[in-house]
Amino acid sequence: MRVLRGLYEGPGSHGILRVAASVEGARAVLCAYPEEGYFPALHGALTRFGDPAPVSLSPIGGPGLARDLPEVLRKNPDTEAVILARSESALLSGEGLPDPVLPESRETGRAPKLVICPWEAPSLREIEAADLALMELVRAHARPQAKSPTPTVNVFGPPIFGPGAEEEAQEMERLLGLLGIGAVRVPLGASVGELARLPRAWANVVLYREVGEEATRFLHDEFGMPRVTTPPLGSAGTGAVLRAVGELCSLDAGRVRRTVWAELARTAKLPWYARLAVPETFAGRRAVVFGDFTYALGLGYTLAREVGLEVAWAGTYLPHLEKDFLFQAGTFTDEAFFTDDPDEVAARVEETNPDLIVGTHLEGDVADALGIPFLPLCPPVAQNPFVGRPLMGYRGSSVLADALDGALGGPPGELVAWGRPGDPGGPRRRWRSWRRYRPF
Amino acid sequence: MTILNESGVPDVVSPLHGLSGLAEDLKDALILVVGTRADAHLALSLAGPLPGSPAPGVFPKKPAPSVSFVVLEPGERPEGGVLASRVVEAASGSRDAGVVLLVACRSARFLGVDPHFEAELAERRLGGLPVRAIEAVPATSGVLSTDLVDEALRVLVDLSPSGVSGPEHEESIHAKGGARAGLLGRLRGRTGGRGSYDEASEGKSVVLLGGASRSRGELASELRRAGVEVGGSVPADERGGLPGGISELPAVGEGAVVAVLDPYLAGATREAEERGATVVKTLFPIGVDGTSRFIGDVVAATGGVTSGTARARKIWEGLEHLRSRVRGKRVFFTGDSGLEVPLARFLANAGAVVLEVGTPRLEKRFLGVELSALGSDVDVVESPDWRAQLDRIEAARPDVVVAGPGLFVPLVARGHLCRSSLDLLALDPRGYEGARRVLALFTRTFERAEALDALNL
Repeated sequence: MRVLRGLYEGPGSHGILRVAASVEGARAVLCAYPEEGYFPALHGALTRFGDPAPVSLSPIGGPGLARDLPEVLRKNPDTEAVILARSESALLSGEGLPDPVLPESRETGRAPKLVICPWEAPSLREIEAADLALMELVRAHARPQAKSPTPTVNVFGPPIFGPGAEEEAQEMERLLGLLGIGAVRVPLGASVGELARLPRAWANVVLYREVGEEATRFLHDEFGMPRVTTPPLGSAGTGAVLRAVGELCSLDAGRVRRTVWAELARTAKLPWYARLAVPETFAGRRAVVFGDFTYALGLGYTLAREVGLEVAWAGTYLPHLEKDFLFQAGTFTDEAFFTDDPDEVAARVEETNPDLIVGTHLEGDVADALGIPFLPLCPPVAQNPFVGRPLMGYRGSSVLADALDGALGGPPGELVAWGRPGDPGGPRRRWRSWRRYRPF
Repeated sequence: MTILNESGVPDVVSPLHGLSGLAEDLKDALILVVGTRADAHLALSLAGPLPGSPAPGVFPKKPAPSVSFVVLEPGERPEGGVLASRVVEAASGSRDAGVVLLVACRSARFLGVDPHFEAELAERRLGGLPVRAIEAVPATSGVLSTDLVDEALRVLVDLSPSGVSGPEHEESIHAKGGARAGLLGRLRGRTGGRGSYDEASEGKSVVLLGGASRSRGELASELRRAGVEVGGSVPADERGGLPGGISELPAVGEGAVVAVLDPYLAGATREAEERGATVVKTLFPIGVDGTSRFIGDVVAATGGVTSGTARARKIWEGLEHLRSRVRGKRVFFTGDSGLEVPLARFLANAGAVVLEVGTPRLEKRFLGVELSALGSDVDVVESPDWRAQLDRIEAARPDVVVAGPGLFVPLVARGHLCRSSLDLLALDPRGYEGARRVLALFTRTFERAEALDALNL
């Protein structure tokens, strides 16, 4: 029992619903109490799509799933797959795992595939549940088949509600297209039919390991499909992914190299930013990074290696990826940790007093309070723009360059003290940016 | 009027959505939500702007600092007293708290937490600071998005002093200007002709229950015009430079006349009745005629007489330009907040055609006066099924749909003009000024839609 002021991730059922709502033709049926059916409101708020959320509520205390399911399918005849989820309260109240038989669809003459999540538990959190739910969907539909005649890959990106999820996948699709490789997006935008054809691809590219790890492992174990797990963040990360995919698709290494160079010259602005800014812009300036797994690691690595900032620490809120995170973060920072308490992160920020915070929207308060430049680049984020911008790929590296340029400004000027000597923690020292004194 | 129970799944946002507004209204309350990660996630997710909700700044972006979450781990079965200790810790860090509200989610019960026992224990340890447990969701069937507000106000009524009659109370009423108001009222009764005030009213204190600060102020001044001084409100407003808070709650008991401002406060109203207060059974002060009758009946309950007909006619005249934009428009309420019935009654009075009034729960006894005032050609659908409502909306093609956040975007995408029920709630539709705000909101909606339709894209 803990007193918290915020949460980084929701319950397991929310993760299952996110995955189900990402796949076209899939519908989630949530066994829950009526007040727990908040997904449609969030779906409307976050996606602003015109379609209602593909989620139906089977209220506990109502007629029951055996009667609700045929009704749901009657009202949604185009449903190709049904995934069952139980809310945390439903699980705590002892709601068992139902085993209903689905009626045949009047449109297709076939019964939709029923996907159940036997691993559901009240302690399971959103991201892990989303990962497992995607694996269940893939396992239920993927069928052995011949490889596509030309190279194709499956791109496993973030599910619905992920910031810039659509744009991340688009950018990777664009880059793969430059190499002549076809791409199928999973889970966001994939249809149930495409899930069945996943084994046709030559490899799986995991953009967002949090929701793609288990499904790609399954495809590897079951169909021998290789996978690329490097996050395509920053120019170095993107180049590494393209080279690895090129190799798996037996492309000419020279062609891959030329494509990378062309993109570095044309699209990627992060290397230019790193070279154009004088070294003093970054020297002695410390950043801290807190977030999920992919973005926290990818951005931390990029800031440390490509930009040249000192990353004082990096943290994650994902307990099931903690060990892996600590291992990977060791490549660019001396201090890595796990916590899911926003107050603990705030305390660490206050203690470190960095020059830049890269985090989730929950770090906004402490950044405001201490006056530290803040980039909310790791999910969950509060912004919900109509047009998202990628952070992955070469276009994403340019977005990052812009963000850093805005947050860090030019080289630091004089070192000034702010805060009163009597303040807890004493006066804090901050670089005063030269930008402030620009005449124009 | 036909009342149909569809026994469906209505589109209702969780009552926990009301946390932010509650924290704003109850400034000295420390609110602790007790539940699992799912409950905290729900509350936090719904604290942001929802589809159709007012422009940023009207709703706070995140729960106020006075809201915290006691997150229970699913595996733990907390021993008795552990939660109380957390409450004590949280309350100790919040010096200005006048009351601690422990919002118990359903999951807390599943994990064996007895929130009422814990609240009692915490109160004892805190030495006088009241700690009360409230249920996030009522045990009754059908959930309104405003249920948490009802529960919180029920607790505030319970915390109000009960004694009204007697010399002490007389003194306090006099100290607050009650005697002056009574005298003023009598003078008005003689000279102004707007209302007359009976001697019997001197022993009765009018308490406004619910509403928002702005409308409470307006209604209090309307009652003052009619010769009745309002003794206080629940929640308490800032008065005489003192911040409204738990210590400013008026007496609610025998001798108090409780005027209920909101149609979703059935629980708080029952609490007031159980304490012996006289609850005025009348229309809610929504719309011109509703406000007029509300004032008249409240005055009558204190022993006075007033006729608001002339004033209502004047207000209607002032609203004619707005009313003309609403007249003949066909309105559909999908229903989630409980405000639907009086709003529908008002819009029908203004000349609109109300096609359907959905409501997740219909307290027929509490809303008896409202239902009888609703036009005979209006269909009220209790516990509507949202998908069936979509079909009915498609078939009827209303001019405007008042919908919850879940249906807002799908309806707009289907070409329907929509206003969010949360928007109307935040607008503060009570009183004469509230009536103006409601008509202005619909007028703006129609005008903007016409302007957008006229664009040659």
